[in-house]
Amino acid sequence: MKRREMIRASLFAGAAAAVRPPLSAAQSTAMPSELTPAQSGVDASKDLSAPGWKPLFLDEHQNETLIILSDLIIPATDTPGAKEALVNRYIDLVLAAESSEAQRSFLNSLGYLDGESIRRYRAAFRYLKREEQDDLLHALAYPRTASGWSGEADATPDMGHAHFEALKQRIATAYYNSQIGTKELGWDGAFAHGPYEGCTHPEGNHK
Amino acid sequence: MSNYLFLVEDPLQQTYDAIVVGSGATGGWAAKQLAEAGLKVALLEAGRAVTPKEFTEHMPAYKLKYRDHSPEIVRTRPIQKQCYACMEYNYEWFVNDLENPYSTPAGKPFTWQRLRILGGRSMVWGRQSYRMSDNDLKAASRDGYGDDWPLSYADLAPYYDIVENYVGISGAAEGNEMLPDGKFLPPMKMSCGEIRLRERVKAKFGYTVTIGRTAILTQNHKGRLQCHYCGPCERGCSTFSYFSSPFTTVKDALASGNCTLITNAVVSQVNMDNAQNKASGVTYVDRLTRQVKEVRGKTVILCAQALESTRILLNSSTREYPSGLANSSGALGHYLMDHVVGGGASGRLADFKVLPDANEPARPNGIYIPRFRNTPTSGKHPRFIRGYGFQGGAGADFNFDAEGYGASFKKAVKEGVYSISMGAFGESLARWDNYCEIDRGLKDAWGIPALRISMTHGDNERALMEDASATAAEMLEAAGAKDIKVQANVEMPGMAIHELGTARMGTDPKKSVLNPYNQAHDVKNLFVMDGASFVSSACQNPTLSMMAITVRACDHLIDRFHKTDV
Repeated sequence: MKRREMIRASLFAGAAAAVRPPLSAAQSTAMPSELTPAQSGVDASKDLSAPGWKPLFLDEHQNETLIILSDLIIPATDTPGAKEALVNRYIDLVLAAESSEAQRSFLNSLGYLDGESIRRYRAAFRYLKREEQDDLLHALAYPRTASGWSGEADATPDMGHAHFEALKQRIATAYYNSQIGTKELGWDGAFAHGPYEGCTHPEGNHK
Repeated sequence: MSNYLFLVEDPLQQTYDAIVVGSGATGGWAAKQLAEAGLKVALLEAGRAVTPKEFTEHMPAYKLKYRDHSPEIVRTRPIQKQCYACMEYNYEWFVNDLENPYSTPAGKPFTWQRLRILGGRSMVWGRQSYRMSDNDLKAASRDGYGDDWPLSYADLAPYYDIVENYVGISGAAEGNEMLPDGKFLPPMKMSCGEIRLRERVKAKFGYTVTIGRTAILTQNHKGRLQCHYCGPCERGCSTFSYFSSPFTTVKDALASGNCTLITNAVVSQVNMDNAQNKASGVTYVDRLTRQVKEVRGKTVILCAQALESTRILLNSSTREYPSGLANSSGALGHYLMDHVVGGGASGRLADFKVLPDANEPARPNGIYIPRFRNTPTSGKHPRFIRGYGFQGGAGADFNFDAEGYGASFKKAVKEGVYSISMGAFGESLARWDNYCEIDRGLKDAWGIPALRISMTHGDNERALMEDASATAAEMLEAAGAKDIKVQANVEMPGMAIHELGTARMGTDPKKSVLNPYNQAHDVKNLFVMDGASFVSSACQNPTLSMMAITVRACDHLIDRFHKTDV
């Protein structure tokens, strides 16, 4: 195409953009920078399984601790658990992009786990025996109940339980949004299962 | 290359019959109605065009870098992120808050959630579609607060019909005095828990629980396919089953051959022919090149969203209209409303032993309980005027909040929980001291002066939410729910994303900006056809009414235009 023709063509392309329907390919639409990666069709699901993976935010001790903790919270059963789902790598990725406040909060919770571990067993959490790790988690996993004596709720906040919940929530979110976790929930990979049939019970007999 | 391209004039060299600013729910309708009536229309959109190629409703979260929990969105969209629909999938559809600032007075937060893309918020809206009744339009006559609308249900009903027939609203007729029935496609089905709630609430309170009336097709309709129940409408719909303007009204407008779409046109002001006291067109800044351009038109119709339309008028001051164009009343910017939210309750229906199913069709809709306070039959409530409606739902879901850890936690997640919840949308009273104005010290990325928004919810809104939380708990209890948790907050204004008012309509030019046909009292060829025109907010989701009001106003405009009376 000659230069003059190119100029002509580009002029008409501009005019067309002003009149053609939005569904037309001729319509000027998004520049790549105005689409989210998802809208551009980027599939990031394999990003974290690269062989040479290194943490972006966590140090080695924190990363190893997180792997062990996630494996205790969501273990492999007849289905894979958090370790296989590389939950530690996902959490590391998120932390690296989070505010320093959120980062600090996470490290506080992980640090609390080690602190309790050292207090009780004189060793960091990752070095405990599996039974000791389990005992420690069990002590943190359930909230302290209100004092039966006074009938009033315990005024001191249950720090251990709060730290446990913060870590658990991170791990559960990471796991159930992973490909492994989505399969764990039974998703068959299809999007259209409609129509929605709703309740089919006779009146007054719902269960 | 086809021939017709040679006939196209430069879109900026001609004078259009009508310039429509904004391509969302109402702008799409205005463009369609006017272009199909033979008027030459320029449709200006501040954002870019949108194509189905960028829809992500069928992409699983694990394909996203952050699995839809991106911590990065907040950097460019700290305010937009407050909207549930602004997510890692689609955040680029929402405005960049750094480029689109506004200010609020200390202690009066307001969240302003916006899209600048073809179709505007119709791309991600909640789709709930309810008519107003004369109990809403004439509320002031009944309880003495505020002003009646200058139109009645009889004026609007035919236009509700037109809009519903075209848009496709699925729903069930209930014969409720507060919520007129419409032209419905078949209703979506209710879950067991919802049907039980419907039965028990009717028996104990006498109130109606109905399936949400939603702008989602339950059967094929005018070239669009019925819903396939994948769930996340706000990421786009490859079958166009929910109503969004680019693939319906805007498409029709362009197909008429009478509408020129100009994208990336950030309108800064309406231009005036001062000698004739008529609008002569608009000025816009090209979003990408930052070039300033002008479009000429015989009429100017603002459909930019309540606050944006008012911002344009405030930024269009002239010597004749020093406090904002068409603002001889002084009412421009005032009476800002947004439904009050934050009251409700949730619980568990523990006797329902239904396992959650990841493959169950995902119904993008809930239930609705029309307003039951201060109705003609309920009598006057002692603590507040007006009322609220409930939206909610019940069903089995995975129990991610299960206690403990290990194999038992994993099992408990899959055993699930049958939960039921309800949240209220309450009427926001029109008050003079809820307003927006131009912040002289603040401009957006295109150099256009930005808004300062000053709004708080008042005692009546708080009383509504308190009553809503207590009543929701009673209803859930009646349905047999356990572990009922009540919520009696008043969330910050803007959270309902139902901004209304600021250029209200009325019969008295001294007290209102627009006449009952959305025409500026002061400038005959200037119109505002969006939520800005609302006199009161009612408690129903407003988009359906905004569209009906727009079609009515366009009918009037077409009539006047043919009589060369604008």
